[in-house]
Order: sequence, then structure tokens, then C-alpha cells
Amino acid sequence: MTSQSFGQGEPALRRLNGVSPRWSLWQPGNRQLFAYLLLLPAVLLTAAIIVYPILSAIDLSFQRIKIAKLGRERAPLTLRNYEELFQSPEFFQAIWVTISLVATVTLLSYVIGLATAVMVNQQFRGRKLARILVAVPWAVPSVMAAIIWWWLFDSSFGLINWALVRSGLSGEMIPWLSTPGAATFVIVIVMVWKGYPFISVIMLAGLQSIPLELYDAAKVDGASAWGRFRFITLPGLRSVRGIALILIMLWVFRDFPIIYLLTGGGPQGTTQTLAIMTYQEAFKFHDFGYAAAIGVITLIISVVASWFMVRRSDEPLF
Amino acid sequence: MARSRTETVILYAVVISVIVILVFPLYWMFNTSLAPSTQLRRFPPVFIQPEPTFAAYERIFNERPVGLWLRNSALVALASTALSMFVSILAGYSISRIRARGSQAIGLFFLMSRMLPSTLIIIPLFVSFRQFQLIGDLKSLVLAHATFITPFAVWMLKGYFDTIPSELEDAAMIDGCTPLSALLRVVLPLSAPGLAATTLYGFVLSWNDFVFARTFLVANQDAWTVNVGVASLKGEYLTEWNEIMAGSLIAMLPIVLAYLFLERFLVSGLTAGSSK
Repeated sequence: MTSQSFGQGEPALRRLNGVSPRWSLWQPGNRQLFAYLLLLPAVLLTAAIIVYPILSAIDLSFQRIKIAKLGRERAPLTLRNYEELFQSPEFFQAIWVTISLVATVTLLSYVIGLATAVMVNQQFRGRKLARILVAVPWAVPSVMAAIIWWWLFDSSFGLINWALVRSGLSGEMIPWLSTPGAATFVIVIVMVWKGYPFISVIMLAGLQSIPLELYDAAKVDGASAWGRFRFITLPGLRSVRGIALILIMLWVFRDFPIIYLLTGGGPQGTTQTLAIMTYQEAFKFHDFGYAAAIGVITLIISVVASWFMVRRSDEPLF
Repeated sequence: MARSRTETVILYAVVISVIVILVFPLYWMFNTSLAPSTQLRRFPPVFIQPEPTFAAYERIFNERPVGLWLRNSALVALASTALSMFVSILAGYSISRIRARGSQAIGLFFLMSRMLPSTLIIIPLFVSFRQFQLIGDLKSLVLAHATFITPFAVWMLKGYFDTIPSELEDAAMIDGCTPLSALLRVVLPLSAPGLAATTLYGFVLSWNDFVFARTFLVANQDAWTVNVGVASLKGEYLTEWNEIMAGSLIAMLPIVLAYLFLERFLVSGLTAGSSK
């Protein structure tokens, strides 16, 4: 009994002297160890499911391998996949399709996103509901977004074809997804519909951070509505604009479900982005080495783009 | 600021027409799901169902394994989110609190991993999973989904831990807490909203996946997730659009509800790592 009560008093005494009661991971000397122990599970998991796969994809891209198996004999290292890739018109078409899709979808999403954000930032009754409704397509999963528009653009019984024929804008039903150009148009529409709300939500947050006094002062000085937008609103959004645009671009760049479900890259490769081409080469043509080479190039472009995103931050990351 | 009457009318007209255009596809989806099959291959289209029917909903539950697909999606989402949250809480806390050599680089690695194209990582994952005979097994999806949930969760959680003053843990440890119990008993309860938001979003990310589920599970129909299943309802020649719309609505409903709760968390969470 006595020793126990003595034992309870002792740590308090030590604490008073500024000495920690026992060896602790929080002690300055051990804190680094504690940091590493906490990071360990995440590092092990990502090593197994991210780092190792990336390295093995890079390795695959230097082998002529049809269907790859772990543990089987390695094919000799070769640059053939890359050589073939850089001589393939299909690859350059995919690069062009990717770049133009990213540019078009980003631009349209930005314009619609900004316009809707400005719209629901006005004072009016029902504004809360309007904000939710404007943002709602963001929440629709890509697969479902593709399915909804699939039906709207259906070649035999789709509403859009019916409306075009009915209004006389088109003489016949258009087979949207099998017509080059028209298929691209559909993909752009679906992506913009799914992508603009993200810009809108971020821009709305940016708009709300602009002090209203600026607008009042500009009005007093006689600035027009366009002048206020041009010289107050747009500069005020500078801080959120970059990140919103880059996230949208990366999303379009890497999208799989929308294009895969609607066209699979067709017709004649006119909607085949690098991401779709990677997938088709691997899982349709079982050309794993070649597919990995396309994937590695996609990765390099992604990393450069995201590095740009990290670099542009003025504050330190931590 | 007062607006004139005309301005108010114009504003409302603009707001209503813009919203009608943007939300119409969702209405059309709902409208189609309530249509009888006979109506789908006939013009003119019916904009308001005179006699709405739930027959399509009944059919997809009775004749298609939608219940099973939903269960599979939920199981995978729960397991992959749980796995990711476990490692991300510890890692996010470490990056937020302790300056250790190399931990900045690890944090940066997680940030960059968010940009990883899934169509690249899926190739080596497929090769490994086949070796371990995980193809066709839901476990393959749990691991694959952790590849995109973990990098996101680490950053979102780090952001929350940054907002909690570290004096609180120091005080707890002076009172005899170990560092780990200070994390469990002081920091985690205080970051409950952040934990809930991150967990919910991890669930959403997993639920929305298509590329991994389609590639790893395509041969095993019993393991299909709801996205793969619903997409398979689109037939080559004939599609029962009311069924596919009913299935899509059911599959996306939990996600849309989740977004309503998540919106304000996501604006800060998604932009984590960039300057404000």
C-alpha cells in the first residue's frame, strides 16, 4: 500500500522538475522516431500498391511483352515500344485529341462555372436552392453522367434527335456516337456538364471573399457593371482560379469512364485520348508492354502538370 | 442595393432558365425511370408521366441482381475507406505535427500521387493481382481503391490536424498521456467533423470507381459493383432505358446526398496543398 501511493506521487514530483516520467516517444530525441512509426503503415501500403506498380510499369514499358506474368522469364530490355509509339500516327492523334479535349472542356467549364457562380452570388430569394441545383451535376458519378447523356443523344429514340428533327434543324436522326466530330461534341458536352459545377463551387467561394465595399466604392465612382466585373471580380478570383483550372485539366486528361462508355475512343480514334489508348492497348489488344509505354508518357505529363501546380503556390507547403 | 423591377424580373428569368437547362438531364433521367417500357420507343416523348409506374424499379430488383451489386459496392467502399483511413490518420498526423527528415518528401509524394493516371497503375496491378489470384475478387478492388483514397485522405486530414493547436496534446502529455493516446483521446475527437468528411469522401471515391471494377471483376458477375452492373444494362441493340435510369438513380442517390454534406469540406480539401 505505502509503496503504491509513493509510486503515484513520484511522477508528479518529476514533472515539477521538468523531467518526463518515463521514456517517451514525444521526447525531443525520440520525436523523429515517432514520426517515422506513424508514417510506416502508409509508406508500406503505398510502396506495395503505388510505388512498386509504377516501377514495374516502367519496367514493362521497356519489354516486348504481350500478356505479362509475374515470375515468368523477363523479356530483354528494349526501346522498341517507345520507337514504335513515336512512329505511330495513332499515338500523335491521341495526343492531339487529348490536348484539344482538355483545352475545350476546360475553357467551357471555366466560362459556365464562372457565369453560374456570379449568378448565384447575386441577392435573390431562393438563392440557397439555386446554389445547390447549380452544383448538383458535380455529385453525379461519371458513369451515371455518361448514361444520362447516352440516352439523351440516343440515335433512334433520343430526345435531342427528336428535338432537332422536330424543329427542322436536322433533316434526319443523327447517329451521334458513330459520327466523327459529333461524337467529340457529345463527349465535350458530358464533360462540361460534369466539370463546370466544380469551377462554379470554387469560384463562388472566391467571390464571397471579395469585400462588398469594393463594389460600392466603384459604383460611387461611376464604374459600369462590366468595369466592376473586369477590375474587381476577375482580379479577386486570381487566387482560386489557377488551382480550379489545373484540377479540371487533370481530370479531363485522365478521365476514363465517360469516353470509354460512350465511344470507347471511336469513331476512327477521334475521341481516343492517351488514357483510353493506354487502356485499350492493354486490355483489348493485350499488348502490355506497349500500353505501359503510353501510360508512362501519360504519367510524365501528369507529373509535370502537378509539379507546376505545386510550384505555383507562393506559401510553403508545410 | 435596390434593384429596379425590370432588373429583378430579368434576374429571375436568367436564373430559372439556366437552372432548368443544367438540371434537365437529371429530370429526364427521373422521368424515364417512371415510364412504361412501351413508351420508350415511340415519339413524341412524354415530358410528364400521366401514369408514373415503378415497374422498372421492381424489375431491376427482381430480375437483375441490383441488390447484390449495391452490397458489393458498399462492402468495397467500407473496406477500402477503413484501410485508407487507418494509415492516413497516422501519416497525416505525423506530417502535420512533427518535422522529421524526409517526411516533407513523403508528404509531397502523396500530393503527387493524387495525379496518378489510373489507366497506368491498373496495368501492373492487374499483373500482380492475377499472380495472387485476386482477379474477380472484391479484395482486389479494396487494394486498388486505396491507391487513390490514401493520397487524398492524408492531405485532407493533415489540413484538419493543422487547425488543432498542439498545446492541447502537450497539456495531455504533461498529465501523463502517451503520445499515441494523446492522438486518440485528444486530437481525434476534436477533428471529428474532418474525420467524418474524409471518411465520407473516401466512400464516395470508391463507390464512383469504374475502371478498376470493370477490369478486375468483369469475368465474375457475382462480384460486380453497382457501376459495372448498371453500365452492363446498356444492351448492344435494345436497351430498356427505364431500367437503366432506375438503376442509375439508385446508384447515385447516396453519392448526391453525401455531396450535400460534403460541399464546403471539399472546397478546402480538394485544394489542399496549394496556396489560398
